[in-house]
Amino acid sequence: MSHQSDTIHLPCGQMRGQGLGSQGTHTRPLEMMLHLRQTIEKHIMQLVTRHQQQDLVLGDQRHHQATGEQEALLGNLVSQLVSLLRSGATGGLGLQPSYPALDVRGDVGGGQEAQSSGQPDQPVHQLKDPEATFVSQHLSNRGIEISASYQANLQDFRIYQADKYHEDTNPLGFINLGISENKLCLDLMTERLSQSDMNVTEDVLLQYSDWSGQPFLWEEVARFLTYYCKVPAQLDPENVVVLNGCSSIFSTLAMVLCDPGEALLSPPPFYGGFVFSSQLYSKVELILVHLDSESTDANPHPFKLTVDKLEQALLEATLTGKKVRGLVLINPQNPLGDVYCRDSLKEYLEFAKRYNLHVIMDEIYMLSVFDESIMFHSILSMESLPDPNRTHVIWGTSKDFGISGFRFGVLYTHNKEVASAVSSFGYLHGVSGIIQYKLCRLLQDREWIDGVYLPTYRSRLQRAHRYITRKLKALGIPFLNHGSGLYVWINLKVYLDPCTFEEELLLCPRFLDNKLILSRGKTYMCKEPGWFRTVFADRPSG
Amino acid sequence: MSTLPQKESRAPATCPGSASTQDLDSNYGDGLERECSRKPDRKVSEFCGVGDPTAMLSSDSSYLSSRGGVIKWFWDSAEEGYRTYHTDEYDEDKNPSGIINLGTSENKLCFDLLSSRLSQSDMLRVEPALLQYPDWRGHRFLREEVARFLSFYCKSPTPLKPENVVVLNGCASLFSALATVLCEVGEAFLIPAPYYGAITQHVYLYGNVRLVCVYLDSEVTGLDTRPFQLTVERLEMALQRANSEGVKVKGLILINPHNPLGDIYSPGELRNYLEFAKRHELHVMVDEVYMLSVFEKSAAYCSVLSLEGLPDPQRTHVMWATSKDFGMSGLRFGTLYTENRDVATAVASLCRYHGLSGLVQYQMAQLLRDRDWINQVYLPENHARLKAAHTYVAGELQALGIPFLSRGAGFFIWVDLRKFLPEATFKEEMLLWRRFLDNKVLLSCGKTFECKEPGWFRLVFSDKAHRLCLGMRRVRQVLGGKSQVAEEPHSCQTREPRSQHR
Repeated sequence: MSHQSDTIHLPCGQMRGQGLGSQGTHTRPLEMMLHLRQTIEKHIMQLVTRHQQQDLVLGDQRHHQATGEQEALLGNLVSQLVSLLRSGATGGLGLQPSYPALDVRGDVGGGQEAQSSGQPDQPVHQLKDPEATFVSQHLSNRGIEISASYQANLQDFRIYQADKYHEDTNPLGFINLGISENKLCLDLMTERLSQSDMNVTEDVLLQYSDWSGQPFLWEEVARFLTYYCKVPAQLDPENVVVLNGCSSIFSTLAMVLCDPGEALLSPPPFYGGFVFSSQLYSKVELILVHLDSESTDANPHPFKLTVDKLEQALLEATLTGKKVRGLVLINPQNPLGDVYCRDSLKEYLEFAKRYNLHVIMDEIYMLSVFDESIMFHSILSMESLPDPNRTHVIWGTSKDFGISGFRFGVLYTHNKEVASAVSSFGYLHGVSGIIQYKLCRLLQDREWIDGVYLPTYRSRLQRAHRYITRKLKALGIPFLNHGSGLYVWINLKVYLDPCTFEEELLLCPRFLDNKLILSRGKTYMCKEPGWFRTVFADRPSG
Repeated sequence: MSTLPQKESRAPATCPGSASTQDLDSNYGDGLERECSRKPDRKVSEFCGVGDPTAMLSSDSSYLSSRGGVIKWFWDSAEEGYRTYHTDEYDEDKNPSGIINLGTSENKLCFDLLSSRLSQSDMLRVEPALLQYPDWRGHRFLREEVARFLSFYCKSPTPLKPENVVVLNGCASLFSALATVLCEVGEAFLIPAPYYGAITQHVYLYGNVRLVCVYLDSEVTGLDTRPFQLTVERLEMALQRANSEGVKVKGLILINPHNPLGDIYSPGELRNYLEFAKRHELHVMVDEVYMLSVFEKSAAYCSVLSLEGLPDPQRTHVMWATSKDFGMSGLRFGTLYTENRDVATAVASLCRYHGLSGLVQYQMAQLLRDRDWINQVYLPENHARLKAAHTYVAGELQALGIPFLSRGAGFFIWVDLRKFLPEATFKEEMLLWRRFLDNKVLLSCGKTFECKEPGWFRLVFSDKAHRLCLGMRRVRQVLGGKSQVAEEPHSCQTREPRSQHR
């Protein structure tokens, strides 16, 4: 009873167990049959035990309800089996998402249940990793869920980790264009970080410090952001919180701004990590503000966010009883590679102010604008923020400096209460003192950043972008041509027949078979199938 | 019997401002909301000096969620000792009348050794792989090194496996992650009390897991051989009581060597506890963060990993870190060893939020690999310094006729100041704690560790001689009734907590 979610992930476990996962598509119908049979058997077992248990303990009503759930599930499975057979089942991992009646979360808090309905179907596909396991009698339900959703999300990444492409040692390994990681300037970074000024080991760095960061780093971050965000007045170090990565910042913000079951607005496609991070600890729902991918006369920019759309999404959410606490925006946008213009930003902030919404602004790509004709505007550059106490800015060095392995993220907020509440989580998300020192040195070295790093980085981004867009054009693949970020948002709709998310999902293994990793639109909560993000911030060799 | 989280981080030793008598509600949201609407009892504000928490909570509501407000309130209210300390830190030259911190369990004796080791050229390697997203379990090279290291120092009968190692940023994160993946919201772990009080918060903050105390007695009765002895009978009773109250217990937390008792469990005792856990299908989390800080040669320490044939290996999870044994609490390195792959995977799934920088991972691997330095330089020197400091403080206490417990492990002595309380109440304990603080010496009082008898204090001795001497002199003054500073109303009321950290 307590591990119903096992059944959902069983298919993967089974495939792994039989070592079938990585084979070509023709074996899939067989696998599907096999694990369907096993799933059904397991459910029948559960039905039987349930009957027994509930005859003992529970009243008739709950008995029927529970039995009904199991029966509905069985029915569901059988009908899927039928449709699978009819369709010839070339891949069919679309099995998994539709178990509406089953309450995976068991007796977890109300917010979480509410959450589950709003969740995307996680792509639980192709578990090739020998270590992947989902069936455990030792984990809590949420433990299983965390493991499963995480593994599903990061499956490709783990495949890649196990078989990384390397010019010399592994020329047949995976090329990862799926993870947004900036590998263009590892040479520069390695060199800079190897310089002797980086290596200081003082007592104070080895001791417990303030959980929201070392004061010297707050000061440096404040100076850094003041300069690069073009802030009219000097930012206050007191408003800086330092944690081990932007995921941690986002997760803790969701925690202290929202109660379980409450919601944040965000326009997809957006960085898929938000889904995981908002759900993981804080049980906060993301309300999708859907945008139009088509450009029309009225809407010349595809995926253009407007206040109307925000109003509409907020209204709809409110009508369904959702308590919306804030708006999450990414600028420069991930995965679109677009930047918001100053006026739009102002409008969004004004909208948020009208409804007392917090704004979480993720500016993690702020220095990765490589098209010189494009002006990036940090919201910190505004003369006056409409609602400073509800405006929270996130930045980190993972993207702009290509050091995701550093684990460093920054929150800047005028709201002392929010800063202090987020700091309460600091000891679970602490950054090593030695690393804080190195970061401080790095951010301090304006001469190197402006004179060496940024010019090289941007020109390499430009070159890589030019390369990939040229290839895309040659292949006749439509894409959004923007000037920031490490990725291009491409449209592979024409390769999907029919144009469904199932087909989109099926395209991934085909890339994988060719040792290429892309990330599909569904992970960005994109409402129409066929979009993919391809990362180009990699070295051009090969 | 279950306790609310006290706001204490691993670093600061503080007196709890938060009331620790209320029951947690089983539901996340509900529990917190209930907390908010509840008027915090007057005693709290009266003693912890954070002003009126009610006012704070209501003002929070405009920006923070209700749980955000509660989290902040706990934090603000219990950080008092630490905050006060930070506004008035002792410094030989700049602030000789500042506060001496004998409250935070931190080893300040070996920074010279560590700094010089960490500055050696082998530590300075920077390579692209270290700068990129890692395997969230930790870099393979580090997990291999940790496995070798633990095999050696825990004397495991067979070599430990790197696959069973997960690396993250400290044991606090590890407690939090384990609570989350092993328990549902509202479920509980057993823990013998007194215990390192911050664990309450570690398992509660994200995981919403509560602790059920197995209260131990200072009095030696029955078959006990020493004060505060943990027995299987006590475990059974606490478990039964929890069950009868409808609390679902999922595991047992053991700290060995023990914080704050400085006690170590014998192999026989360990086995009994593990057998108890196995009988009831409980997970056992063994916090061995002080395992190399056993400075008394006669004290035979035994890691759980040294046992031949663990009773229930799939439910036994061992934690270690460099914060204590290598005196680098600021480095944020902690590790889990578990044979249970599901648990390892689930904890690793959370490591995106609790990750450790690649460069630090590299340094840690180098450090743990350097067996010559550890065995010939660091450990002998560290133990000698710990022992000297311990001998000094123990001698002082003896001279004062103050009873204490200490078995030659850890950085602290568990001191019995019961005779200094006019009445055996926690109120009096708090007043004594306040008198220490007013006399510029920070200690941790028993309440912080959920000790059920008022009057016990933890005194940290792992500090440099001059600070230690001064600290002890101030302790003596208070106990001899000759405080320098008269009791005066405390002035913590209005300051913003964050600014006080500076």
